[in-house]
Amino acid sequence: MTRPSALDVKNISKHYQDGSRQIDVIRDLSFSVAAGESLSVTGPSGSGKSTLLNLLAGLLELDGGDMTLALKDKTFSYRTADERSRTALRRQHIGYVYQFFNLVPTLTVLENVRLPARLNQQRELERHAATLLGEFGLSDRLHDFPETLSGGEQQRVAVARALLLKPPLLLADEPTGNLDAENSNHVADLLFSSCREQNISLVLATHSTEVAGMADTRLHLDTQLPLDTRSQDRQSP
Amino acid sequence: MIALALLRFLARTPWSTAMALIGMALGVTSIVSVHLVSASISSRLDGLVPGALSEYSHYLHRDKLDTADYLALRKQWRAGALPAITQLSPLVDETTTLEGQSVRVLGADLLARPPSAGAKAIAEQFSWNGAWVDQSLKDQLSIPINGIIEAPKGTLLADIATAHDLLGWRPNQLSYVGLVLSDAFAGSIETAEKLLPGFGAGFPSAKPSLDLAPGWQLVSTAEQYPAREFGKSILFNISALGMLALLVAWLLIYQVAVSWLRRLWPVFDRLHVLGVEWQQLRAYFLFSIGLIATLAAALGLVTGWWLASWLLGMAVPGQEINLNLDSWVIFKAVGSAVAVCLLGGAWAFHRSQQEVSHSSLPAILTLLLLIAATWCVFQPQTGLAGGFFAIAVLSLAASQTIAPLLTRLKRWASMIRGSYLLRVGVREALWHPAELSVALAGLSLAIATAIGVALMVDSFRVDFSQMLDHRLKYDLIAQGDKTALKTFANINKTATLADRIQVYRNTDIRVNGLSMELDISRMDAFESSRYGYSRSLASNGILLSEQAARSLQLSVGDALTVAGEKMTISGMFSAFGDLKPKLIVNDRSPLADALAAQLQVDSVAFKSDRPEILVAALRKQFPALELRLQSDIRRVALKTFDQTFAITTVLITIALLVAAISVYIAVTTMRLNRQTGRQLLNTLGVNRTEQLMMNIALGTGLGLVAIIIALPLGVMFGWILCNVINPRAFGWTIELQLSAEALLRSCTWGMLAAIAAGILQGGDHEEGAFGGR
Repeated sequence: MTRPSALDVKNISKHYQDGSRQIDVIRDLSFSVAAGESLSVTGPSGSGKSTLLNLLAGLLELDGGDMTLALKDKTFSYRTADERSRTALRRQHIGYVYQFFNLVPTLTVLENVRLPARLNQQRELERHAATLLGEFGLSDRLHDFPETLSGGEQQRVAVARALLLKPPLLLADEPTGNLDAENSNHVADLLFSSCREQNISLVLATHSTEVAGMADTRLHLDTQLPLDTRSQDRQSP
Repeated sequence: MIALALLRFLARTPWSTAMALIGMALGVTSIVSVHLVSASISSRLDGLVPGALSEYSHYLHRDKLDTADYLALRKQWRAGALPAITQLSPLVDETTTLEGQSVRVLGADLLARPPSAGAKAIAEQFSWNGAWVDQSLKDQLSIPINGIIEAPKGTLLADIATAHDLLGWRPNQLSYVGLVLSDAFAGSIETAEKLLPGFGAGFPSAKPSLDLAPGWQLVSTAEQYPAREFGKSILFNISALGMLALLVAWLLIYQVAVSWLRRLWPVFDRLHVLGVEWQQLRAYFLFSIGLIATLAAALGLVTGWWLASWLLGMAVPGQEINLNLDSWVIFKAVGSAVAVCLLGGAWAFHRSQQEVSHSSLPAILTLLLLIAATWCVFQPQTGLAGGFFAIAVLSLAASQTIAPLLTRLKRWASMIRGSYLLRVGVREALWHPAELSVALAGLSLAIATAIGVALMVDSFRVDFSQMLDHRLKYDLIAQGDKTALKTFANINKTATLADRIQVYRNTDIRVNGLSMELDISRMDAFESSRYGYSRSLASNGILLSEQAARSLQLSVGDALTVAGEKMTISGMFSAFGDLKPKLIVNDRSPLADALAAQLQVDSVAFKSDRPEILVAALRKQFPALELRLQSDIRRVALKTFDQTFAITTVLITIALLVAAISVYIAVTTMRLNRQTGRQLLNTLGVNRTEQLMMNIALGTGLGLVAIIIALPLGVMFGWILCNVINPRAFGWTIELQLSAEALLRSCTWGMLAAIAAGILQGGDHEEGAFGGR
């Protein structure tokens, strides 16, 4: 049975202006992701993977098309949302994991994970932060600052923080790009399994075919083709 | 290619480039304005000594000096018995009344040294019986006027013989002998004075030992002209305050250089990997920062000149202001900007290139300097320079504690509680000692200076106000026309509305060769209490101002011979603002009788229940008198006091502004080149209001760190100013009042400066050297 889509992306486009030259980064891209499903985005550098994630996070404005995200009691439309509502969306309904610099260096591990709960005044979730970190094997690092953690540990903390609010959408931009094979597998497993268990839609940009292969659906963005014939291929594994 | 890349970098980061330029220009502005203000005041003070006497470094006095004494001295000198003296001349110097004008008559050997330098000839025919006068006497006297000289109002210069004629003196009578004594440090002090106008007053005056015959009294220029010395001491205070402003400005300029390097470093690092030599990269870096420094120096010279004009206009309203952008100030401005930038930049480059090993040498040197500074504080002979050396060493020591303090506070950072975003803001202030410690040192110094000066001025104001309360026990003071005062003083009964009338007579007198003012009045218990002495002053008793006691090195109970009369010192009193050391004796003392002929009525004071009616009656009867109500005198005195110190407030404001810019530049660079988590917080949905709160928290954190250092440092500055600098400069003591208001005011301004630096958002959108999309 086909599950209803949580994230709907319809004919979106985004360009950058470089002086008088317009660079189309994303053009007429459409896809959808159901709740609990995962989508991996692959493609060479400059193909627009990070731009797509930044659009989904509301950090960038759309130039064309629309995206909608199904929330508990309403559907959020990116096209009509102003900067303030996009910030609120990010704060309450989206988790984000970067490749680097995922943690606020001046907050401890526990504070970093609790931060979304604090920002949303959901104190009851704060207790859950320590449990989550325990599940991720970090119970002895709760009060350490990020600079003392290894790369793999930092990414696990970042995943824990992104999951704390159980957001409908989790975005991950090269989450394993900076890790060795063992840590990479560990973090990827955590991400995919947690999202699946908690019914969270996951959009993950990666260069790793192995990690991309773990997703339910794959989207390949390509810049090698001329702009007018360029396509964004979507395929299921 | 590399130069082009750097120039593009400057152009593509306009806000940072502009802030670096503005920051450095502000530093130069403060340097230039303080220099010009000090130079202008110094020039006015030099004008208190007639040009004809300015070349002498010391003077020799003796009772009933005449040409025979002078010739004996000259003979001794020519025989080589007085090798320290390089030049000596007989001088006449006396004030008299000529054609109704009070005129100071100076007589010099013009045959040997005509007053050509600076004098404008106006006589059609030169006359040895003529004189050179200052502008005010040009058309007032009937004697031939040969020219106009630069001198205080009412000064006349003539050949000794002409001076004798004008004064009615016997032909061989002299006032004193002018000396030029050799001083190995004179050249260095003169250069220091050019670079830091007013600083010369801080050097302890030389006390040469001359093998003189008994009876001669050697007096320095400072003792000969206490009014000028008083002014020079105030100027020295301003100059020294300016020195701290200069230090803060240098820290800012250094901070700009360091921040600039930090922004460019990733580019340099990669270019080096590509094979570009460090030397070449350093040359490009120094070229770019040198370019900004040169532009900032030019901009700072213009704005500094403007600021100095405004400051002087405020300090001496109504007076003509001529500020000269001479080669010294240009050298100082350009030198400060370019030299500090290049040297600081080169040092920062060196430190970035290789790990500098931590040495304990700076700490040991600072400790040794602190020991030397403590010695200077408790050794009065080190003079003002000793006091300010202590302040400089304390500043150095305090600035060295910033980085270790931040490191220690960072360890406790996890204990900070409250909102997470506030925690981020405050911890950010403690997290990056390498980037922030220089700027924080500047801010701490600026706040400490503000605290120290505020404590000193507030304490001074309290003492000054108390002195006014003591002195202004009368309701009305009459001064002015001497003839009217004399007439009035002799018909006391006229003033029937007055409950009490007090007549003050005074004269200038030399005591142990020093020029002082002797005041004589009816010193009953009421009058004596005005000087803090609770009883009637005995007929052989004498009261000394603090300045007089210090000059004569005497204290209460000591004996003092004045004009042949042996007196006993009964008490001492504060005399803030008096130009001359002052002595007070009872009008029933034998000294009053001995000096009766030369005493002049200076003023008359009245106590009355109805002072306004008394004023009206007296105005009608004695229109030539100046009548001032006690309330007016108090108001004017306090207004003058506040006006005098307004200039220090402006200088402190400039220092705080410069420090805030420095902190802002440091914070901006830190955010651009360090991973501070701000971008991540934006991704997590932190909104603008919350970001502003975080910035305020960051500024507050920076302000708190600066205040932790500045508070004890500022109190120490205040103590040194009240108990070391002022006693040495002015001869008076000020009781340090730890006024909560003064502390709070300075800390609040410092905190606001830090918060302003934290919340300024401009430039945050710019990319670092390796900013990603």
